[in-house]
Amino acid sequence: MRISHGLYEGPGSHGVLRVAASVEGAHAVLRAYPEEGYFAALHGGRTRSGDPAPVTMSLVRDEGGGSREGDVRRDLLAAARGNPEAEAIVYARSEAALLSGEGVLEIGLPESPATGRPPALVTCPWETPLLGEIEAADLALAELVKAHAKAPRGRSPAPSVNVFGPPLLGANPEAEAREMERLMGLLGVEVNARVPLGASVGELARLPRAWANVVLYREVGDEATLFLQDEFGMPRVTTPALGSAGTGSILRAVGELCSLDPQRVQRAVWAELARTAKLPWYARLAIPETFRGRRVALFGDFTYPLGLGYTLAREVGLEVAWAGTYLVHLEKDFLFHAGTFTDDAFVADDPDAVAARVEEAAPDLLVGTHLEAEVAESLGIPFLPLCPPVAERPFVERPLMGYAGSSVLADALEAALREPPPAQPPPKARGPGWTEEALEELEEVPAFLRGRARRLAEERARAVGSREVTPEILEESRL
Amino acid sequence: MTILNESGTPDVVSPLWGLSPLAERLPDAIFVLVGTRADAYTALSLCGPLPGSRQTRHAAGAVPPFVLLEPDSEPEGGALASRVVEAAAGSGGAPEVVLIVACRSAGLLGVDAAFEAELAERRLGVPVRAVETSGDAKNPLATDLEDAVAQTLVGLSPREARAVEKEEPAGKGGLLNRLRGRATGRASFGDRGTPRPVVLLGGLEASREELADELGRTGVEVVGGVPDSVRNLPEIGEGTVVAPVDPYLARAARAAEERGATVVRTLLPVGVDGTARFVQDVAGAAGRVTGEAGRAREVWSSMEYLRGRIRGKRVFFTGDTGLEVPLARFLANAGAVVVEVGTPRLERRFLAAELGALGSDVDVVESPEWRAQLGRVEETRPDVVVASPGLYAPLVARGHLCRSSLDLLSLDPRGYEGARRVLALLARTFERAEELDALNL
Repeated sequence: MRISHGLYEGPGSHGVLRVAASVEGAHAVLRAYPEEGYFAALHGGRTRSGDPAPVTMSLVRDEGGGSREGDVRRDLLAAARGNPEAEAIVYARSEAALLSGEGVLEIGLPESPATGRPPALVTCPWETPLLGEIEAADLALAELVKAHAKAPRGRSPAPSVNVFGPPLLGANPEAEAREMERLMGLLGVEVNARVPLGASVGELARLPRAWANVVLYREVGDEATLFLQDEFGMPRVTTPALGSAGTGSILRAVGELCSLDPQRVQRAVWAELARTAKLPWYARLAIPETFRGRRVALFGDFTYPLGLGYTLAREVGLEVAWAGTYLVHLEKDFLFHAGTFTDDAFVADDPDAVAARVEEAAPDLLVGTHLEAEVAESLGIPFLPLCPPVAERPFVERPLMGYAGSSVLADALEAALREPPPAQPPPKARGPGWTEEALEELEEVPAFLRGRARRLAEERARAVGSREVTPEILEESRL
Repeated sequence: MTILNESGTPDVVSPLWGLSPLAERLPDAIFVLVGTRADAYTALSLCGPLPGSRQTRHAAGAVPPFVLLEPDSEPEGGALASRVVEAAAGSGGAPEVVLIVACRSAGLLGVDAAFEAELAERRLGVPVRAVETSGDAKNPLATDLEDAVAQTLVGLSPREARAVEKEEPAGKGGLLNRLRGRATGRASFGDRGTPRPVVLLGGLEASREELADELGRTGVEVVGGVPDSVRNLPEIGEGTVVAPVDPYLARAARAAEERGATVVRTLLPVGVDGTARFVQDVAGAAGRVTGEAGRAREVWSSMEYLRGRIRGKRVFFTGDTGLEVPLARFLANAGAVVVEVGTPRLERRFLAAELGALGSDVDVVESPEWRAQLGRVEETRPDVVVASPGLYAPLVARGHLCRSSLDLLSLDPRGYEGARRVLALLARTFERAEELDALNL
């Protein structure tokens, strides 16, 4: 039991719904209490596509009536009848439903008049209230793939790959997958399916005909591609597609797996470096002092902080003060990879703990999720919200992956690092000083709130033109 | 009027939507959400901009802290109280009250929120109360949390009149404190006897002030409103007239009744005729006889232009806040054609006057199925749909003109001025649509 002010990820059921809503022809049934409605509003607000959320609520009602199992059966059948175009019905349970003992139900669904066959019922028997959004999304996608992928008669005649990108409601999921599709096109490699966003259930069935799987977003794609590897012998490429080096590495790996002429791959890489990728140019055009001695801190999911960490450390030349992830279930992998570009890698899923680290390290640049915006602003640290979850919901998505994404990154870095570093950058000297009395009072603030209280007080002192924080200023700042 | 219960699943956001707006309205209260990751995520997700709503993301400080429960362990007794004390200590200032918003999952995990509130109250020395979010409603309204909080605040109101303290300086002490005494200053009750004090249940600052003025004109004193800061809560007990301003505060009204207060059951002050009847009946319950017909005619006349803009327009309410029945009644009176009034739940006893005043040709659909509603909207092609957040974007994408139900709620549609605001909002909506339709794209 702990106090918090923010969350990096939602519950497991949210991850299942995100994946189900990403796949064309899938419809989700969420077993939940009547007061747990939120997905339709969130879906409408984030996608702004005009499509209703493909989710039916199956309400847990504690009072009288039929049995719970009977209710679920009725709701699943109603969802199948009400969505005749659905080829898969994904059954998810909210945390409260799981806590109240709701189980899974295996039933046969009726034949759909639209498709001529019954939709597959995809249950998620592994759901527990402890599971987080991202891990559940990964498992749900694997369930969908397992339920539909069929042994192929053979590989596609021409080289092809499946691109596993971020699911719906992520950061620029469509743009990331589209950029990889463009790059595959330059190599003459066909994209067999984009998964999960935009894939149809029929395409899930045909996944094994591709020559390889390119995993752009390992967080939601790891289990499914491991299954495809084990079951159908499909190799996978998991290098983060961030920065020019990462993207080039993916193209070369795909070239090998698809038996392409290496010189053709290299020509494509050079052409992109000349035409599209601006990050290498930015790194060369900017004077060395722009980067030398400047420290960046990174926090986010898995792919983005790792990919950006490699890129900023090697291609740009910034020092990575630390890198962190909130994905506790990927801790081991994250620490291993992050250890290649920073001495300080960690896992934390409490925004207040991350804010305290930011305050302590006082980096020259912070790359994080939208939850770090407040601490960056209060400390005056240039901030780039490039790691999911992000609050922005642009009509036009821009990729951060691939060569086009490296140019987006170059623009972002140029804006953030334009100002030269302060001549005297001792981090502790940034803010006003503290009187003994104020420090004593600060000690009385609960530890988890102390960092925030310190920042607010220093902001207040600056606002009133005081050179030090007094107990009065501390008190005023907390009102 | 016909009422059909569709027994479907309406599109309604979780009542946790109301957490941030309530925290902003009651700055002297500390809200602590207690639940699992799912509950916290829902509250955080819904505090951002929702489809069709002007409301922007609330300030970071307005999103209350939450106590995250571990789903795999039953919390020890007293642990929640300790976290609540920490949250209160970390909030700065001196809270007047701490409200523990306990989600259903807290109960499922064995948390006794009421007991923990008692423990925390002993340590903090200020009232600490548990507010249940789940309630017992089969179909929740998006506004249920406000009802639960209002019910709790009714319970915190003094039962007896407090000694009059020295007058606070202007601008302090809440709006209704400033209003106190207006009526007594204007009217000498003399031989007509002292009217009973009135408490407004619900409403926002602007409408409360207006309604207090209107009632003051009749010689009736509004002594306060709920929700409000604890220090401003009025006496509620025998002899108090409680006037519900919002249609979704049934539990709070029952709590006032249980204290012996007289709860006025009349039209809600939504729309011109509703406000006139409200003022007349509340004044009557307080002991003043007044006729409001003249005032209503005057207001109608002053908004004739706006009325002309919506006359004959066909309006569809998908329904999620509970405000739809009085709004539909008002718009029908103003000349619009109400195609359907959806509402997740109908408190028939509480809304008896409203239902009686709905036109004979208005269909009310209780517990509507949202998919069926989409079909009916397509079929009937209304001029405007008052849509819940989940249906707003799908309906706009299908070419329907929409306004957000939550936007209408935050517009403060109560009172005569509220009626004007509602008509002006709809008129603006039609004007904007006409401008866009005229573009040659």
